[in-house]
Amino acid sequence: MLAEIGYISLALSFAAAVFGAAASLYGARRKQAMWIDSGRNAALLTFPLLLVSTLALLVGLMTQDYQISYVWAVTNPTTPMFYRVTALWGSQQGSLLFWNLLMAGFAFVALLANWKLNPRLMPYFTVYSMLTLAFFIGLVLFLENPFERYWIIPGADGVGEVVQAQFAPANAVAPEAARLAETARGLNPLLRHFGMIIHPPMLYLGFVGFLVPFAFAMAALASNDLSTNWIKATRRWTLVAWLFLSLGLLLGGRWAYDVLGWGGYWGWDPVENAAFIPWLVGTAFLHSVMIQEKRGMLKVWNMFLVIFTFSSVIFGTFATRSGLIDSVHSFARSEIGAPMFFFWAGVTIVSVALIVVRWSQGALKSEHGFAGVLSRESLFVLNNVVFVALALAIFWGSFGAPIITEMVTGTDITLGPDYFYTVTVPLFIAMYILMGIAPLSAWGAVSARSLGRSILVPVGVTLAAVVLIALTGVNDPGALFGYGVVLLAAFVAGYEIVRGARARARAAGEHPLLAAVSIFTRNRRRYGGFIIHLGITVIGIGVIGSTLFQQETQRTLAIGESLQFSGYELRLDSMEYGQIADDGRQMDIANLTLKRDDEVLTTLRPRHDVFPAAADQQPMVMNIPSAYGTLENDYYVLLVGVQPSGAVTFKVYVNPLINLVWWGGLVLIAGTLIASWPTGQKAEARQRVANAVAVQRGQVTV
Amino acid sequence: MAQATWEKSVSSAKITSKASGGRWKFLIGAFLILGAVGYLVVSGMLSGARYYISVAELLNNSERYAGQTVRVSGAVIGDTIAYDSENLLIDFTVVSMPEEYTNLADALHYAVNDPTAQRMQVHVDNQVKPELLQHEAQAIMTGTMGTDGIFYVSELNLKCPSRFTEDGPDQSIAQPGV
Repeated sequence: MLAEIGYISLALSFAAAVFGAAASLYGARRKQAMWIDSGRNAALLTFPLLLVSTLALLVGLMTQDYQISYVWAVTNPTTPMFYRVTALWGSQQGSLLFWNLLMAGFAFVALLANWKLNPRLMPYFTVYSMLTLAFFIGLVLFLENPFERYWIIPGADGVGEVVQAQFAPANAVAPEAARLAETARGLNPLLRHFGMIIHPPMLYLGFVGFLVPFAFAMAALASNDLSTNWIKATRRWTLVAWLFLSLGLLLGGRWAYDVLGWGGYWGWDPVENAAFIPWLVGTAFLHSVMIQEKRGMLKVWNMFLVIFTFSSVIFGTFATRSGLIDSVHSFARSEIGAPMFFFWAGVTIVSVALIVVRWSQGALKSEHGFAGVLSRESLFVLNNVVFVALALAIFWGSFGAPIITEMVTGTDITLGPDYFYTVTVPLFIAMYILMGIAPLSAWGAVSARSLGRSILVPVGVTLAAVVLIALTGVNDPGALFGYGVVLLAAFVAGYEIVRGARARARAAGEHPLLAAVSIFTRNRRRYGGFIIHLGITVIGIGVIGSTLFQQETQRTLAIGESLQFSGYELRLDSMEYGQIADDGRQMDIANLTLKRDDEVLTTLRPRHDVFPAAADQQPMVMNIPSAYGTLENDYYVLLVGVQPSGAVTFKVYVNPLINLVWWGGLVLIAGTLIASWPTGQKAEARQRVANAVAVQRGQVTV
Repeated sequence: MAQATWEKSVSSAKITSKASGGRWKFLIGAFLILGAVGYLVVSGMLSGARYYISVAELLNNSERYAGQTVRVSGAVIGDTIAYDSENLLIDFTVVSMPEEYTNLADALHYAVNDPTAQRMQVHVDNQVKPELLQHEAQAIMTGTMGTDGIFYVSELNLKCPSRFTEDGPDQSIAQPGV
């Protein structure tokens, strides 16, 4: 029954999305409100229908309905309830269904929130969002159906044939539930981690969230309403999608660090890169969109960026889910590859063609020219170039070069981490330098002298900080330069917040602390942006420290023996063998005491887990590290193996400043929440008045 | 209203005329940036490019690939895996597998059971034995071929089809009489 409910709801949501797109297009072209409203209602229906479908699968997972093929593939009787829920997105079919639910959810909220505000754009928004949704629902419905069930068609000799089908074939009967349960696969052990509950949903939210700005941009092109309406309607959506994508990337890094046991968090894997590329282009868009709002410039560029962002989401999804690339993250080779490739190519070609048409009609002309090389708009453009160059270089290294060399030479060529370090490090340095300089510049013409005066204080503080770092013993010139560049960006962000608060305190006669709060409530976007910059700089410091100064060692210890390493003492106290966890895994656990200067810091318990397997499977083994973390470093220990003598071998990493990567992520989240938090009507009115007055005075707020 | 007082003002200078006059600066800047990025990509490719080949191709063209870092894909033979966990040394043998296949599990199974498939001994230094290093796993290895005929691996990735494909239950669930 669950399978029928899920499948029929899915089919209905597909019909609603197709009808929604068709009715909206017809209504918009013929200017018939009845059809437009009908299209909107159908579009709104997709979300509840997909919710029913997803809930049906979830209930199937929770109630162990192993006749449903997806439930059989990703759970077994020992799977705890927590992982039964997360198994919803644990494999291709379920995760595609979940992806559809999130996409429909974004479209649902965007339709409700913007229908009255943007009457000209919304019919076309419905067309583009529903066409995209219909495509993805179609993939699940026709190619990756999670609701198919196992059936047995009795044979003449008494031995039946197992078949997989949505509805019962003629004469077929359901297999015995107990036999299905015995043979069920269970969730991939790599996915049995707390991060599973949050990392994939965040990443998917980030990906599908970019549907909204894309659909608005396409609606603006199609309706020829190329004012800033589409940007105003989408800037918060873009920030929200960007926030989720940032969270997804950070949580993915943290997961790899916790589970994969190689002491790192980013491996330049093609799937990681596929998620990073839209983040980079989306970041460029978030910056350049300000120039269009303030100066009426870069209209074509912004259209390209928003389309490039969504196009890279589709391409990344295609690359990950089609089996095109080999990666620990990728899904099995699948039939969805070809349709996804054609959809990606179609979306990109149609979008670019629409831009060219409107551009040739003169509808995307800039209202101002560039005033000078040092103006804020010029520096923002430079920043955009850096982000786009990073995205293109990473795309080329991950996908472009391997695919093209095989097509041209017939031999595969892959680009390893050396390529990514060579290309990206200078570009990231340029990004941080621009992050330090651009906020100090102004819109319009700026002289080198005035910019130089503005930057004097932050540069002075940065130099002092670099000297202090050198005095602590860091003598690697590359590291000192890296810290300096990142700290300059941090000090400029802090400096701008302080300057803003002081100016507010002077002008309004407020206490400095109250003034600091005031500037955040009155101009959330600007000051939230500076908090985001601070978060990115904290992450940068963590990346430099953990990349350049990581130390590692390995040692075999008998019970009671100690290892001295990097100023710490690690003592093996005892071993616990054959512990059984709730999900049936067998664990060997080491109990280690970590000391520094004779003071006990903590007990570490790295593990060696063996997951039971179904009859025809090999058991899966995982080494789960244990770490002691401070702001200074992480002391990260892996249980490598037990020797015949009973002694135990450990691998130890000391990762300096690595926790700043996660803490910086939290700062970034806080900044994004501030920047995207809805402004109340009063505050908006106050902001409009302030802006109007500023424009009258020849001043502009950011 | 006082909010805007610390913002930098837009210059009232004749922006458009300045813009047209300064366009060449932007063009030169754009060419410089493009050149720099192009240089980075080319130098990155020179240092990071690896041929991605099969075991058979490496063994049949050993002179061509001698001393070069290459990426090789092969099927792991489970009973050859030797792991020295005290010194973190791993040795195993891989066999050449077909470059084109529709089902990875079938391709790996065929390869390890094919007596004519070419075999290559592999050595990995300073690495904890990966969880997925097991019989009929696909090993994707970056390294160089030694003069002793052993492939020395600097980066080892593995793919285990049993965990990444969603094969259905076998006929054992179709019990007689059901």
